[in-house]
Amino acid sequence: MRRGRTLLAAAIVFAAALVAGTALTAAVSLSGGFERAADRADLPDLIVRFDATARGDVERRLAALPNVETTRYRTEFNGVWLQGGGGRATNGAVHAVEPGRRGYAIARGRDLRGSGETVVEAGVAREWGLEPGDTLSIAGGRLRIVGVSISPDNVAYPLAKAPRVYVDRRDLGRIGDDVNLALAWLRDPARADVTLAQARAVSFGLDDLRFITRDGVRVLIGQAAGIVIALLVAFSLVAVTTAGIMLGASARSEVARRLPSIGVQRAVGFSRASVVREQAARGALLAAPAAAVGLAAGALAMRGAAERLLAALNEIGPGAGLLWWLAGAWLAIVALVAAASAWPAWSATREPIAALLRGGELAVGKRPRRWLRPRPTSPSPPHNAGNRRLSTVSRIVSALGGGGGGLGALGARLASARRVRWAATVAVLGAASATLVLLLALASLLVSLRDDPGTVGKTYALTANLPPSAVAEVERIPGVAKAAERTAVEASAAFSLGQPLRLVGFARGAEDFEAPPLAEGRRRRAADEAEVGVGLADALGLRPGSRLAVALPGGREGRFRVAGVVRALENDGRIAYVREDRLDALGASGNTVVAVRLERGADRAAVGRGLGALGARPSEAAAATTRNRGFLGVLATVLRIVAVTVALVCLVVLAQALVLTARERRPTLALLRTVGAGRASIARVLAGACAAVLVPAALLGVAVEVLVLGPAVASLAAGYAGLSLAPTAGHLALAAGALAALGAAAVAVVARRVEREAVVAGLREEA
Amino acid sequence: MTVVRARAVTKTFGTGRAARTVLRGADLDVAAGELVAVVGRSGSGKSTLLHVLAGLDRADSGTIEIAGGRVDGVRDAKLTALRARAIGFVFQFFHLVPELTGEENVLLPTRVGSPLTARGSANGSLRRAHELIDRLDLRDVARSLPHELSGGEQQRFAIARALVNDPPVVLADEPIGNLDPVSGAVVLSLLRGVADEGRAVAMVTHQPEAAAIADRVVRLEDGRLVG
Repeated sequence: MRRGRTLLAAAIVFAAALVAGTALTAAVSLSGGFERAADRADLPDLIVRFDATARGDVERRLAALPNVETTRYRTEFNGVWLQGGGGRATNGAVHAVEPGRRGYAIARGRDLRGSGETVVEAGVAREWGLEPGDTLSIAGGRLRIVGVSISPDNVAYPLAKAPRVYVDRRDLGRIGDDVNLALAWLRDPARADVTLAQARAVSFGLDDLRFITRDGVRVLIGQAAGIVIALLVAFSLVAVTTAGIMLGASARSEVARRLPSIGVQRAVGFSRASVVREQAARGALLAAPAAAVGLAAGALAMRGAAERLLAALNEIGPGAGLLWWLAGAWLAIVALVAAASAWPAWSATREPIAALLRGGELAVGKRPRRWLRPRPTSPSPPHNAGNRRLSTVSRIVSALGGGGGGLGALGARLASARRVRWAATVAVLGAASATLVLLLALASLLVSLRDDPGTVGKTYALTANLPPSAVAEVERIPGVAKAAERTAVEASAAFSLGQPLRLVGFARGAEDFEAPPLAEGRRRRAADEAEVGVGLADALGLRPGSRLAVALPGGREGRFRVAGVVRALENDGRIAYVREDRLDALGASGNTVVAVRLERGADRAAVGRGLGALGARPSEAAAATTRNRGFLGVLATVLRIVAVTVALVCLVVLAQALVLTARERRPTLALLRTVGAGRASIARVLAGACAAVLVPAALLGVAVEVLVLGPAVASLAAGYAGLSLAPTAGHLALAAGALAALGAAAVAVVARRVEREAVVAGLREEA
Repeated sequence: MTVVRARAVTKTFGTGRAARTVLRGADLDVAAGELVAVVGRSGSGKSTLLHVLAGLDRADSGTIEIAGGRVDGVRDAKLTALRARAIGFVFQFFHLVPELTGEENVLLPTRVGSPLTARGSANGSLRRAHELIDRLDLRDVARSLPHELSGGEQQRFAIARALVNDPPVVLADEPIGNLDPVSGAVVLSLLRGVADEGRAVAMVTHQPEAAAIADRVVRLEDGRLVG
């Protein structure tokens, strides 16, 4: 029996370590992916794009900047025909590079050395099945692939629309001396802002000038995954905390079980310190192998999915660096179990030795605490107490249908008799079920972020590439409630050029087409007013009343007074809503479409056909994340792995609770079998015991998710947005169904074990 | 009428050199209304005999019939049903469920089995339990938990529990082995009354005062019942 208990205790450590391993791998892999890739690729501190200009001219301008250490130049050709392996594209991006620092890392093969060679970006190699040694056709010419690169200045193909390859500039002698891309490495990257301002001053005459810093690249890459990675990392942090709670509660209940033997040790002269040391050592010995196996299993389960996710973003995993994190987690788990074993032993040894010998927390021989106790009775009780004397827990179980003529209630009493363990089990299951509900809410939120523009404050459903003059015609299409012109301009902050932002303009009277919740201030009224996202406000230190200065693509500068700060999700909150006529006045060129709001119950397809008749290609209004199916599939895999892990934890915890209850109450179960209880009756007792922990755990889990986890994850992931991770009725029903199924499985397994044992074996033990 | 019939029952614990045979062809008949005391020295196999009679343990060979139902060679589900219908068991250590009051312990056998097929109505079970509690003079302590009761009270509740389903057979394993003489006398008197009502009672004991109330005393020696 002792071996079985040890295995169960090890199982709970394994389950917690599994969660920790999964979460840690996700958090470590996803959180530092960009920095790792940028460092390995020697990503420049500043990337400048402009219309083709003579290299000498650009070099002269950049050489005037004192903070610039090194520069390299490229010519980027877009819309190039590429074919190789199993893929082809007509929108390829070919970068003609020059010797020296490249700004990309070689993942396989080698870098360019001579003519007739090309290096392909890792996403292209993966999608088209290309390897070094293969041949790639570029605009009709055939080049040998010598390497595969990781280019962290953009996400990987096909998340990036264009497949990108690199060729040696000397191979393209016909392109002359013109370049359209400059990479600059700074002596002091912390002073990038100052350098940007200087660069802007010396760049007069360059057309279509766009600057982006390394920080700006990080922001742009982050937008590709939307909020998803931040949510996963935040979730992982919460999951690790949950695992810590599980470990602590489990270790504590193990020591509580050993209290009588601790009493014996004290009685024969063991000191408090030696008892505590022994308990800590026992805990550590039990935790060490279980934690190692659990962490390894969790890391292995998550590693593949995390690496695919990182690869889609052109980021690099932690590699062997993860081992240090896992080793640290292993030490933390062993230390936590040792401490959680030592503390209750230390606390218990303060009690009189006689109390320990009586069994510490045992309910037998004690009146249960008030909330578990039968209701008070009259001095001369009538004979109807059978049902009225149920404890609070068992009455709830009976009311929920687990009563089974009183056996369910009996099971509830058996489970709650050991109060400390019951509370620990409820705490662990509560934490696990809160995680499960959070996971479901997270999955729904991801779907909403992908599919439902309402999530990001958009009240329109479709956009159409039509001129503003077509608004009236669009509004005449049956099913269209309202239409308005929407212009989006990619710009940057004038005083902080590395900070990209998006200006969105609606025609006057159509401000409510896109109205994320107001966090501060008020809605815009005047033409020179703007509502800015919290992400932008945080980056630039804006508040209501501040001035937002924007550097527009054409080189002009616009200034707006901040009327309000809104919880916008789009573009990571780096967005400003302004009046469209103000953008016109500034001559800002951007992407202009007609936003279409539908009537309730309107046929979206019919409206789409109507827009098509006007010559437009209607699009679903964009939400917050990418629409790439493969990428979303990887995310779904990550969520599924975490969900399975959490379900496994629930099953282990439930089985542990039931097996311990069944073992400790062998005489009671044997007695029931003596008076005629078969497997079904025993199962009803165990179901009651199961419900006694599951019902309060589920309620606790929902409360914890709604009040703590959901807000914590949403806030950690996107403090700039008003995300809701509150569970719906569907989520709750699904989680309850999953827990009930797990409980039923645990009951069935344990009832079978009980039935296999000879009745007399239980009767031989003193009740 | 014979209600308990055991023929050539054998039972061995362990295997090989560690094997110990405690029953070697034991035969026993108990008629309705008869109280049979089984005596013998400690470890002679008295409790094992009761266990195999009740189907709590399996005999290695032999035949056993209780109230017309076979105990040997039947599936566990049938045995369970037989125990529920025909056998009341009284233990030396009472085996009251510590979380249940005395009255709830008495009602426990009425709650096993499917709620849809439970024997008799809930009211009928409750009425019978109350009659037994009154008859055994336990009404004042019916709502006490076991640890609040004396040993004699606990054993009386255990007897009430054994009788609540009105079984034709009662098996008692050292029913006064853990009681003081006064409480023991009360319990013996109750068991005598149980037999006088027409039930077959088989009682394992090593105490002379217990054997004294029996209609017949049989001795377990070398695995066989004698006398």
